[in-house]
Amino acid sequence: MKLLFQSFLLNCCVCTTLLFAGTSGLDPSVILHPPADTWPSYHGDYSGRRHSSLTQINRSNVRNLGLAWAFQTGQEDEIKSSPLLVDGILYFTVPDNVWAVDARSGHQIWRYTYPPNKGFHIGQRGVAMYKDSLYFTTPDAHLICLDAKDGKVRWNIVIADSAKGYWTTLSPLVVRNHVIVGVSGDFDNLRGFLRSIDPDTGKTQWTWYSTPPAGTPDQPTGGMTWMTGTYDPGLNLVYWGTGNPTPVLTAKTRPGDGLYTCSIVALNPDNGKLAWAFQPSPHDTHDWDAVETPVLVDGDFHGTPRKMLMQTSRNGYFFVLDRTNGKSLLTTTFGPVNWSLGVDKDGRPIPNPDKDPAPDGRLIAPDEGGMTNYRSPSFDPSTGLFIVDAHPSYGIYFAKPADGTFGWAGADYGVWGKGILEAIDYQTGKIRWSHELGPGGSGAGVLTTDSGLTFTGDALGNVLALDTSNGKTLWHAGTSRGMQSSPIAYELDGHEYVLTSSGGVVFVWALPAD
Amino acid sequence: MSVAFAGADRAAETKLIESGQAVFLQRCAFCHGRDAGGGETGPDLTRSKLVASDVGGDKIGEVVRAGRPSGGMPAFNLPAGEITALAAFVHEEKKLAESQKGGRRGVDDADLQTGNAAAGKSYFEGAGTCSKCHSPTGDLAGVATRYHGLKLEERMLYPSHAPASVTVTLPSGETVTGKLEYHDEFTVGLKDPATGWYRSWPVSQVKYQIDAPAEAHAELLGKYTDDDIHNLMAYLQTLR
Repeated sequence: MKLLFQSFLLNCCVCTTLLFAGTSGLDPSVILHPPADTWPSYHGDYSGRRHSSLTQINRSNVRNLGLAWAFQTGQEDEIKSSPLLVDGILYFTVPDNVWAVDARSGHQIWRYTYPPNKGFHIGQRGVAMYKDSLYFTTPDAHLICLDAKDGKVRWNIVIADSAKGYWTTLSPLVVRNHVIVGVSGDFDNLRGFLRSIDPDTGKTQWTWYSTPPAGTPDQPTGGMTWMTGTYDPGLNLVYWGTGNPTPVLTAKTRPGDGLYTCSIVALNPDNGKLAWAFQPSPHDTHDWDAVETPVLVDGDFHGTPRKMLMQTSRNGYFFVLDRTNGKSLLTTTFGPVNWSLGVDKDGRPIPNPDKDPAPDGRLIAPDEGGMTNYRSPSFDPSTGLFIVDAHPSYGIYFAKPADGTFGWAGADYGVWGKGILEAIDYQTGKIRWSHELGPGGSGAGVLTTDSGLTFTGDALGNVLALDTSNGKTLWHAGTSRGMQSSPIAYELDGHEYVLTSSGGVVFVWALPAD
Repeated sequence: MSVAFAGADRAAETKLIESGQAVFLQRCAFCHGRDAGGGETGPDLTRSKLVASDVGGDKIGEVVRAGRPSGGMPAFNLPAGEITALAAFVHEEKKLAESQKGGRRGVDDADLQTGNAAAGKSYFEGAGTCSKCHSPTGDLAGVATRYHGLKLEERMLYPSHAPASVTVTLPSGETVTGKLEYHDEFTVGLKDPATGWYRSWPVSQVKYQIDAPAEAHAELLGKYTDDDIHNLMAYLQTLR
């Protein structure tokens, strides 16, 4: 009987596999409720919580975690992407390169290489998927549509003119039949924008500009949109962070708040219309993009059920907003901050003009890299902890008339910093526990699981598994290079895997097979 | 040399600079700026002493290939031809920057002269607690001749990679003291002065005490006013 039962199960598995093999690809509705064997988008789901419901690897057995396989890209560029996992195939990137790799074995299925180009090869955060197509942004600001089956190019469109100073790094966000892409470009006075592209034809559906055209009096340019946003299907709003204004370190030509730079914006994905905006850094002069993941959480806030949006922003502030209207629920710092005069009635920090970059220098906390940066934080629903790789730091900022009003327009230098993982109570902003990650800073992303584990990396190249309830280390493995990406987790054939990357190598961790 | 030949030479050089620019834009420009004049995080290469002393990529190549892990610069394993081209481009940008009339971008020594040396001296001896570890006639005698401008200010604020020492007590009771070579939450490593060899232990198996006096600089960062910094700079610049 037992044998029979097992063979029945086996048959079922085979059927499922065959079924998947026949209908390979990603229906965009799967992103709404990703199954355990699928990581269908940069954040893994639309909420940006980077939380896995898997529980096989838990607090008592995590000490047995070992390497299932590793994949070496052999590239100079570090992996900064979050892989997608669909139908047992992982897709990940470095600039100019996409790999499709068998998630069970680490065998390469195909590799796509984009032709040599002059764009900035500063990072690539991963592909997006719609049906059987992948979407890949390039250093010279093209969007490439690839056949997921073999990596062949279906079409190639220009998102922005790289000769003007744009480049692209982000993993697009797919919402129904919209492929939403953003741009980078800090070294020229350029408009930031978000663009929705038709997944089949590559045609533009809409464009939303974060700033007015260059040369508009008293207005900034900039507001780049270089990290993947999140989406609330109930409200039908995408949430996106925008970057700093340009010129970057001087505000001489842009006296006001500089909308919509350093902002969190809520847009209708069907037409790109702005529903609301909240500005974490009004009148920024320190390069503090507000592009960090806008994490969507439904839950209690001081006794009232709320649809919330949370962000640990590069400028050192933790924000909790009501995501139906963008109103502030909580604004607090999560490390040393010395550039503001406090918080205004709308929950926005008030910049201190004495901390604008100056000819003789100003000591600023945090530094330009910020209190945190693009790697993902994680929200753990059972503890209510928002866990972030924090970077207490100081830098010196200079600007003088000779620096002009174009592009960077000043100079800044990091002085000191360290890495520390912080678990923030979202109702109060209080730091429940913290875990030192080493000198300089870590920069690793964070993943939490339903079994009470937190995965991240330290400044010395260790991959860490911590107890989410208290931040204590339960397991670690040295990789000799820092983690510049955010971990993911998935289940295949009844086994839970945690995937991390350090340098140019992907590591997949699992419990020993029986 | 014929005119045609000189023209061909120039054309070859232009081509070299252009191919160097392509590499620079891909790999270097994000941090060092598209014109090598400084960007996010990376210093202005047109003012760099190393660039000034570089010939055909000999110095630049070393840094590119080894990186500067301490300063956050990754290593780039570029072929020799690309290094030569890269260096040609950086030298060209240096020439261009130096030919600019009027004020230059970036930080000049002259920009860092707004402080008051007497106020800096009293901060040094008083609130700054600098004199607990430093002496203007001892370790800091002549410091302004060894460092100047931005470099001096950076070292004053936080001397990165200042040496630290560690004393490790082994389970046997034996103690080893040496230069701290490695430390994370799992491992402590030192250079054993008796043998010159690196030794390391799991932190769970030993007791250890790290002595890192330079960390006092990090403690001060949250206490300085900008005036304190400018005054201290003025004072340090008198120590010639």
